[in-house]
Amino acid sequence: MQQSVEGFDKYFAELTPAQRLVYGSLGFFDIYHSWYFNFLLLTLSLNIVLSSIDRFPGAWKYISKKKLSASRQFILSQRQRETVEVKDESRASLAQRIASACRDLGWKATVTGKGNSNYIFAERGAWNRLGAYTVHVALLVIFLGFFMTANWGHTGQMPLAPGDSATEITQLSFHLDQVSQVTVPLPFKVTCTDIQQKLIERDGPINAMNTIDWLTRIKITDERGEHEGLVHMNAPLDYRGYRFFQASFVSTGNARSIMLSLTPQAGGQPIEVTIQRNGSTMLSDGTKIEYLNFYPDFTLQGSEPDTASEDYNKPAAQLEVTTPSGERKTVYAFAMELPEGAPVGAPFGGYKFKLASFERAAQAHILSVQHDPGRLPFYLGSAFLVLTLCSVFFFSHQRVWARIEQKEHGNFEVVMGGDTNRNKLGFEDKFKRLVEMIGARVDEEKQS
Amino acid sequence: MSEVLQKPFILKTTSAERPDFKAYMPAVLAVAASLLMLILRIQFGGAHFIADSGLMLLALACYLTAAVFHLTNLYAPSTTAQRFGLWLATSGVFFNLSSWLVRWVNARDQEVAVILRNGGEIPWFFRYIPFANLYDLSLAFAFGAGITTLLIAHRKNFRFLGALSLPLASLILVLARFIGDELINLPPVLDSYWRPIHVGTASLSYGVALVCFAVAVVYLLKDRTKPEAMAIWTSIFSLSIIATISKFSVLTSATYSASTMMMGSSGRRMPIPLRADIPFVGPILVITALLLVGVIVTFGIYLAKNDEKMRAIGHWFLRLSLVAQGIGIATLISQIKSLTNITSHISTSQYAWFGKWLFEQQGMRPGEVAQISSAQLYQAAEQFVQQKGQMLALSTNGNPVELSALITALTATFFVILFSFRTERLREALPALEKLDSLMYKTASVTFALLAMLLITGAIWANESWGAYWSWDSKEVGALVAWLTYAAYLHTRIARGWTGRRSAYFAIVGFLLIIFTYLGVSYLLPGLHSYA
Repeated sequence: MQQSVEGFDKYFAELTPAQRLVYGSLGFFDIYHSWYFNFLLLTLSLNIVLSSIDRFPGAWKYISKKKLSASRQFILSQRQRETVEVKDESRASLAQRIASACRDLGWKATVTGKGNSNYIFAERGAWNRLGAYTVHVALLVIFLGFFMTANWGHTGQMPLAPGDSATEITQLSFHLDQVSQVTVPLPFKVTCTDIQQKLIERDGPINAMNTIDWLTRIKITDERGEHEGLVHMNAPLDYRGYRFFQASFVSTGNARSIMLSLTPQAGGQPIEVTIQRNGSTMLSDGTKIEYLNFYPDFTLQGSEPDTASEDYNKPAAQLEVTTPSGERKTVYAFAMELPEGAPVGAPFGGYKFKLASFERAAQAHILSVQHDPGRLPFYLGSAFLVLTLCSVFFFSHQRVWARIEQKEHGNFEVVMGGDTNRNKLGFEDKFKRLVEMIGARVDEEKQS
Repeated sequence: MSEVLQKPFILKTTSAERPDFKAYMPAVLAVAASLLMLILRIQFGGAHFIADSGLMLLALACYLTAAVFHLTNLYAPSTTAQRFGLWLATSGVFFNLSSWLVRWVNARDQEVAVILRNGGEIPWFFRYIPFANLYDLSLAFAFGAGITTLLIAHRKNFRFLGALSLPLASLILVLARFIGDELINLPPVLDSYWRPIHVGTASLSYGVALVCFAVAVVYLLKDRTKPEAMAIWTSIFSLSIIATISKFSVLTSATYSASTMMMGSSGRRMPIPLRADIPFVGPILVITALLLVGVIVTFGIYLAKNDEKMRAIGHWFLRLSLVAQGIGIATLISQIKSLTNITSHISTSQYAWFGKWLFEQQGMRPGEVAQISSAQLYQAAEQFVQQKGQMLALSTNGNPVELSALITALTATFFVILFSFRTERLREALPALEKLDSLMYKTASVTFALLAMLLITGAIWANESWGAYWSWDSKEVGALVAWLTYAAYLHTRIARGWTGRRSAYFAIVGFLLIIFTYLGVSYLLPGLHSYA
């Protein structure tokens, strides 16, 4: 079992120490990075290169040395063959007619004469013989991409909550069931400005099953200046050869924005204000409210606020309130009704605070940052592979030979034969049509 | 498919023969009518519109009857049977694609209703394309097989192919039926434009591979492979299925137990890794296994020594095994539907393992679970069964792959019996070996090209969402191995001149690997593709 796969720790826990030692030293937990795996991949590449070199000259001959004339025996040994007797003015005009019939069928025809015979050679798609080699070249380019990624690429994680900054990523390094972290510095600073979670059911849980998308807004700062960017699911952000992916999230509940309902103690209608995460607002009477923290399941650990679970059981927002007179206090706004006189929910600065509603979001998002020099060769190789595969399999190299010999009474004998490397059925149809076309013209002439 | 691409070329260059548009009519009609159905669903849809599951069952019925007509036509050729077969297959493809398209709209309607209630923004249409789980993919896979059959049927002498490919497509729909058509919330990582590209390629390539497999089987039959030799292979296949289902319990303890499901309050059913013993099924399957061993032994002796007597006995074993398999499946399904008091059928031998699962569900780490004593595990499981036993239910959706595998084994046995009946006449009705070989090569080439695109689109998508194009995930490796098998097919043909029978073996192995990738990985192995 692979050590990076989910459930590995369970599997590993059930192994005996001897099994762990043997499997581990044979590289069974990380088989694709073992020396023998690399060796096999290298052997495969070499194999492809060598067999291509071995066979290429044979294929090249189809293009460089076209077989323009052919013996009767050769033509009659072809898969498709036919001998017909035709009447015509001269050998040359018959040859031209056959050649033009071939052209009508989409073949490129060449007429040659030698001794008492005329030859027509027609073909189509000779380059198709080279298709297999271009496929191999594409595969090697892909392998090169893999090799570059494996050796010079790195991928690390970056947890971000609004307000956080990071200048390095942590890379995970597996050794058996031990996971250790290695930090890799980045050539720029990443600051998170906002995280948002689009949910299907707005008041449902923030797990993956209820999520449409996670969005992380970041600001990248380096010597070139500041750049704003958005990373979300299946939409990575590219910057200076680095790619940022929305990888996962810290599943503790939080709130992207809170809506507070402030009831003046002096009487009057409650005031509603909305504050973004890490944001603040100023009331018309000069009271400043800062949104410090959010607890989905509020509890007190001694005198310190904390959350009892990840779920939104007792949501509370921690606020810093500054009165117009400069008096400051940390206040908690709860979504539920509190018993009269509860110390944590006590009014302050002339207001009673209540959490009217909030937009659910995760505590933090985890971005995956990748530096991958092998991507370009990989993509190029892939595009090339698809193109060449289509051109290899949807086309074929078709060849037809015809040999004209003079018979008695101005009759000529035409020996025709041909073959294809692919699409035999389609070729058979075409060949039959060629024979028909030459035959049909003879009939017309007979009638006239 | 290359036919389609090459047709316009012939159009341009020849006036000698009119292009045979009519031959493609079934495929074009099926697709056009399905699109019309989609428009009707969008325009007049709602609760009263025919459900996608209903359309799927209609497709299944059409495929099955079409297969019967195709088979009849092979044994007693008649234009009526051929025509009925073709039009039923066309209707099957129409219902199949309509079901898939209507499901697309249904999935959207269901989720958009929730989102609108909350006042959220409506996501893009492609979020709901039915490529979310194995049910959706099976529907598309069967369509891929159906449309390939229709396209190949443009050559009259290849129409017989439906006799084999349509039963296979039906089996896939049966599997879909057992998986269940519940709409799931899409895991967010799948919400990408690469999904229709990647999964669409998958279903097409699997469909073409299925047809390639069917051609290979027909080739072997035409090439005078004895039905008895085929029977040995199908019997080994059936035996291995009987041996492995129900966690190997059939041959070790003569019991078959089916997975239970817990009925949730919202009507959702959750599969629970707790199996209930189904009465009678175990012994029947053991008898079936013995009959199958009998088939292998007697036909083995017949093939080795040309012993006619053994051949006759073998055929009796084969027919009896078909009957036994039929009774086994019928008993299993009727018991699943009728069994009451499920808790009394749950064997306590699973408690230790189930207890571990219970603790893991509570979020305990594997290291912590390992510390729990077996008595505690047993107690936890016992307590669960006592308290929640009433909520446990049996369903044919509990073990989709096991049930479908049993039905596939039955079908394979049935076809071998069919092939051994008037074999010579059947062989005469089939096209020449060379034509079959050519068609096999063509379908294998298309499969190879499509699988290559499947791997590439998968790699690019993986790089867009996980940041790694190749994670050596089990499904990736499975698809790679299948691709390499088809590559081996093509290379041995070009470099070594292997054709016919040897190629047919490659085509068969390739398709089996695809099925393994398709199902085995999702149900047996852990990995990133665990959702489908």
